[in-house]
Amino acid sequence: MVEALLSAEDVSKDFAFPRSVVDLLRRRHVTAVHALNGVSLDVRRGETLGIVGESGCGKSTLARCLVRLHDCDRGRVVFDGTDIATLRGAARRRFNARVQMIFQDPYSSLNPRMSVRQILSEALRVHRMRPAGEIDGRIAELLEMVRLPADAADRHPHAFSGGQRQRIGIARALAVEPEVLVADELVSALDVSVQAQVVNLLLELQDRLDLTIVFVAHDLRLVRHISHRVAVMYLGKVVEVAPTEALFTDPRHPYTQALLAAAPEIDPGRRSRRAGARGELPSPIDLPPGCLFHTRCPHAFDRCPRDVPELGPRGPGHAAACHLDAPAPRP
Amino acid sequence: MSHIPRRALSLPRPLLLGGAILLASTLVAAFPGAVAPYDPLAMDYVNLLAPPSAAHPFGTDNFGRDVLSRVLHAYTIDMQIALFATLFPFVFGTLVGAVVGYVGGTPEAVFGRVVDAVITFPFLVLVIAIVSVLGPGLGNMYIAIGVVGWVFYARIVAAEVKVQTRLDYADAGRAMGYTHARIVFRHLLPNAITPAVVYWMTDMALAILLGSSLGYLGLGAQPPAAEWGVQIADGKNFMATAWWISVFPGIAIVITGLGFSLLGDGLAEVLRGRR
Amino acid sequence: MSGPVLRVRDLITTFGQGAQALCAVDGVSFDVGPGEVLGLVGESGSGKSVTLRSLLRLLPAGGHVAGRVEWQGRDVLAMSEAELRGVRGGQISMIFQEPMTALNPVLPVRVQIEENLRAHTDLDGRGRRARSRELMDLVGIPDAGRRLDEYPHQFSGGMRQRVMIAIALASDPKLLLADEPTTALDVTIQDQILHLILDLRDALAMSVVFVTHDLGVVSATCDRMAVMYAGRIVEEGAVRDVFAGPRHAYTRGLLGSIPQAGAERSMLLSIEGTPPGLAAIPPGCAFNPRCDFATEICRAVRPDLAEMAPVHRAACHNAEAVAAAGSPVRSALADG
Ligand SMILES: Nc1ncnc2c1ncn2[C@@H]1O[C@H](COP(=O)(O)OP(=O)(O)OP(=O)(O)O)[C@@H](O)[C@H]1O
Ligand SMILES: Nc1ncnc2c1ncn2[C@@H]1O[C@H](COP(=O)(O)OP(=O)(O)O)[C@@H](O)[C@H]1O
Ligand code: SF4
Ligand code: SF4
Ligand SMILES: [Mg+2]
Ligand SMILES: [Mg+2]
Repeated sequence: MVEALLSAEDVSKDFAFPRSVVDLLRRRHVTAVHALNGVSLDVRRGETLGIVGESGCGKSTLARCLVRLHDCDRGRVVFDGTDIATLRGAARRRFNARVQMIFQDPYSSLNPRMSVRQILSEALRVHRMRPAGEIDGRIAELLEMVRLPADAADRHPHAFSGGQRQRIGIARALAVEPEVLVADELVSALDVSVQAQVVNLLLELQDRLDLTIVFVAHDLRLVRHISHRVAVMYLGKVVEVAPTEALFTDPRHPYTQALLAAAPEIDPGRRSRRAGARGELPSPIDLPPGCLFHTRCPHAFDRCPRDVPELGPRGPGHAAACHLDAPAPRP
Repeated sequence: MSHIPRRALSLPRPLLLGGAILLASTLVAAFPGAVAPYDPLAMDYVNLLAPPSAAHPFGTDNFGRDVLSRVLHAYTIDMQIALFATLFPFVFGTLVGAVVGYVGGTPEAVFGRVVDAVITFPFLVLVIAIVSVLGPGLGNMYIAIGVVGWVFYARIVAAEVKVQTRLDYADAGRAMGYTHARIVFRHLLPNAITPAVVYWMTDMALAILLGSSLGYLGLGAQPPAAEWGVQIADGKNFMATAWWISVFPGIAIVITGLGFSLLGDGLAEVLRGRR
Repeated sequence: MSGPVLRVRDLITTFGQGAQALCAVDGVSFDVGPGEVLGLVGESGSGKSVTLRSLLRLLPAGGHVAGRVEWQGRDVLAMSEAELRGVRGGQISMIFQEPMTALNPVLPVRVQIEENLRAHTDLDGRGRRARSRELMDLVGIPDAGRRLDEYPHQFSGGMRQRVMIAIALASDPKLLLADEPTTALDVTIQDQILHLILDLRDALAMSVVFVTHDLGVVSATCDRMAVMYAGRIVEEGAVRDVFAGPRHAYTRGLLGSIPQAGAERSMLLSIEGTPPGLAAIPPGCAFNPRCDFATEICRAVRPDLAEMAPVHRAACHNAEAVAAAGSPVRSALADG
């Protein structure tokens, strides 16, 4: 068994709506968005774990829980043997350096009033990565690592394109020499040709720096390309997790099957005239009972709305949360 | 013209005009004696209520004091009022606002109630009430304005910091393990302070008006000090016969107020453009 | 096949005046055949949306269109406002990327559909009511009777897009202009909407111009495609032909930028640099600073769109070399 470096154990996270005085007086229940409903997964040292799912399924929330931008309501996140919720002071800062996050929006994730040099040197200084004299040298090194020209250091974020800003974000994360990078929709805001540049950069950096990467995205093709293993999320739960090849060639959860069928093929020879999934995502406020997917599942049967299916083994490293062992994908 | 840096020429016109007015005002405030032809308190019983003339361009008041000299000397007090009445509210309000906007939750709810309480009373009435309790005079006036005024700054800054907090760079700072203080003061505040600075300029203009109003009501600067509000009050009984006693200090108030407003507009333009 | 329903010739759209004028669309020509789905692809800022809006003269202030847009033999660009109103939202309808901003938030959906029916049909009140229900059924909104009286914010993103389509269909259009109608949607919902558009095309014999930046969407839905770069069409042809053998280096680069099954964790064939801004379009072939195939002539002479094979046109000086390099898309067509 390969060692898990970072793991989520049954993590749940709700976002409660603010209650007005009237709600309190009427003793209305707290309404909440159930963003994560018991997520368990392991991230192994040196691998890329892809996390896919449709918008609102909790991918970003999970990513934020992993770096402790959110505290989980139930369950825990364990890094290198320690529950990260217990970290305080210096230990917490150390954790922040070892597990870094890169954000989706290239336009809001950099402070518009700081130059690239200020952004990078702040990270280097706060974490005492280098003595003051070596900071400029290290900045040049980081810029070269993410393929930005050396004169980029003294410009402000607004002078860069989206793809270049994402590189600055990557350089900032790498400044503190992390072991784990959590990348939330790193390239979704970028043009296709620029996406490819950033993906190539990430692959190369991973090899060079032995990074462990959690790659969160809604784009199945990208996730397939970059990940060793993939976890599929639906309504705040992991419904299937498997090595990439197994997941894409032999999906065992009806939702994964629907998702794969829905993704447009880039090969015009493989066009289909049938929609991959019916219905829409239920509201994350009132979750369906039993299997969360039963409202849209073509295989649903009487047990599905009653019993919650647990993640069960389907093959080496392959697990799915469905009452059926091998539901046949629809043609 | 060639020695003027190109940057200055590209600055917005309101900024340049407002800046020029305020620079001149500040110089007069610092060295009123250098420009004023007479002692502002010297009485000349031969020339009571003299209309504007070559000797007294703005005329004289009912004690024969030169109105021009009094208007110029009043710059010292009125510019002080503009600064002192607003500096504390600006600094304190900005700090409170930044913290409240960043922390949210209960402190924000409590602060919301404070805002509600303060804005339901007219500002002037509130200040007058406090000064009447503390007693008239400039010092007490500053206290009264300070007690109430910071709330407005805090409200502006809190709202803006809250907006900035939702942007990813704030979270990026947290994910980097930066302290809350660093995130608030190094990252969020510089991006959130623009509206507060612009409001500050307007507020200085308002402070001069307020200081003059209180002076007029006898609650601010005390006679015989030269202060525009006091001067206008002095002239109120002679409006029909000697309009110049009140009108010239009035014009000074308008011009200085205009200076602050123009500067505020210009700053807003420049700071917003920089984003 | 009869002649094209839409013929666009030398469409030029500029913003601003005099020396500061920016040319967002620079000499675009294409045809749309009856019942055909034409995909307009390109990266952000390449001029897809401006092209689409220019067809109906729906430009923001400061925009100016020149050229010819022949709709059933008449030039849309030369029409009077009154004539144009009959065409807009009538024979030609348009749907947008963000259905929330395109729908009026304070009016129930029924009013918005009936508004279009009133403008473009001579149905009476009763007829309109019946027709709006039919339309809601047609676009797959369950429980149409009740949902007609709801407001846009009560619909999910996918349902809103369906409502937009229902409104667009109200006038029985012969041509649907769709500007990234699925970009804001999830894959499973995007899939449903794409299939809906194709089904409607079959049922109503419409033609569709489909703007998207996603080559997967083009591959899955379009018959023909036109690739735009810096305001010009650089390649045009049947989707299968272009995917199987791109003739323009930019098209080839775009296809190579898409990850494909079977090549996991390999370097993607990326295009260096970023698309140029309108104010700084390079001379010669606009793509030359980023192009691996560029030669001397590319920096000096702008290539024109030329016929490379039957109904396959490309604007590239080195089309032969690009074709010889082959398509980066692994295809079931090629394998089989
Ligand atoms: N109102 C306008 N004024 C000036 N320039 C404009 C205006 N509208 C669009 N442009 C410019 O025209 C060019 C083409 O824009 P367009 O919106 O057609 O791009 P697009 O291909 O649809 O991109 P996207 O994929 O981002 O929607 C861009 O460079 C854009 O900045
Ligand atoms: N700060 C927040 N406050 C309230 N609701 C939130 C917050 N963050 C996320 N959510 C909700 O939680 C759910 C999961 O969100 P998210 O993790 O962002 O999804 P994804 O990244 O998969 O698109 C969504 O319904 C979203 O609206
Ligand atoms: S448990 Fe039932 S409803 Fe859920 S995915 Fe399996 S078959 Fe479908
Ligand atoms: S014309 Fe030249 S620069 Fe342009 S795409 Fe072809 S080879 Fe490249
Ligand atoms: Mg997300
Ligand atoms: Mg567009």
